[in-house]
Amino acid sequence: MIVYLLCFVLLLVGLYGVLTKRDLIKIILSIGILGYAVNLLLILFAYRNDSIYPILSKGKAVEQMVDPLPQALVLTSIVIELGTTAMLVALAIKLFEKYQTFDITQIRRLKG
Amino acid sequence: MRQNDGMTLIVKTVTRISVWMILLYGIYIIFHGHLSPGGGFAGGVIVALAFLNVMLAYGRKFTFDWLNIGFLHDLESASATLFLVIGILGISIGGAFLANFITKGELFALLSAGTILPLNIIIGIKVGMSLFLVAWVLAGSKTVKGE
Repeated sequence: MIVYLLCFVLLLVGLYGVLTKRDLIKIILSIGILGYAVNLLLILFAYRNDSIYPILSKGKAVEQMVDPLPQALVLTSIVIELGTTAMLVALAIKLFEKYQTFDITQIRRLKG
Repeated sequence: MRQNDGMTLIVKTVTRISVWMILLYGIYIIFHGHLSPGGGFAGGVIVALAFLNVMLAYGRKFTFDWLNIGFLHDLESASATLFLVIGILGISIGGAFLANFITKGELFALLSAGTILPLNIIIGIKVGMSLFLVAWVLAGSKTVKGE
């Protein structure tokens, strides 16, 4: 149970960063931490004590393996996170080209 | 020092030796995706990091001369099409999308698991090239104040 609580704490760290930081790069990193917390939760759901990774190899029994489905889901989630992070960085660079700053309190003019 | 000159001589020399090992490790991860942890995505990321290493150490201009960026772009687009071709071959031969239509080989051998190995290679090319090209495009923009 404690690991789920720690996982939730990690999510709160990401949320704190998104809500309080003013630097766009720090916000993007915080969104990354949010994603890692969700990935970790999905992996923890599938974890069992004394089990091995779900890859078939010589001398490994299938009964000992953890559930591979959350791991496949998390792999997809990591790929999508990569895409969203790349898009956020591109948007941040576009904002920098226009406003010459990463501080979100300075980015408020809609035109010009 | 001009902006596109890259890093110091030490970094350049270490990169010249290590980049081929990183590339080889990425290719190893891609080829053993159906036997050990890793696969197309993880190996593709390592391949992209090998190219990024060159870009960071030597600068954009040298990398532009060394690599054919347009060819990498074509390769990235072609790999998605190749994935679709293998999937549709699965329909026409095996009866379902991405069904296995080549021999499954011997268990735990390198040439096993049917079409998973070619699909891993295709995904590795796709991920490696697209990740490198994303970083390439982002590195080309001006992020220094006052330029």
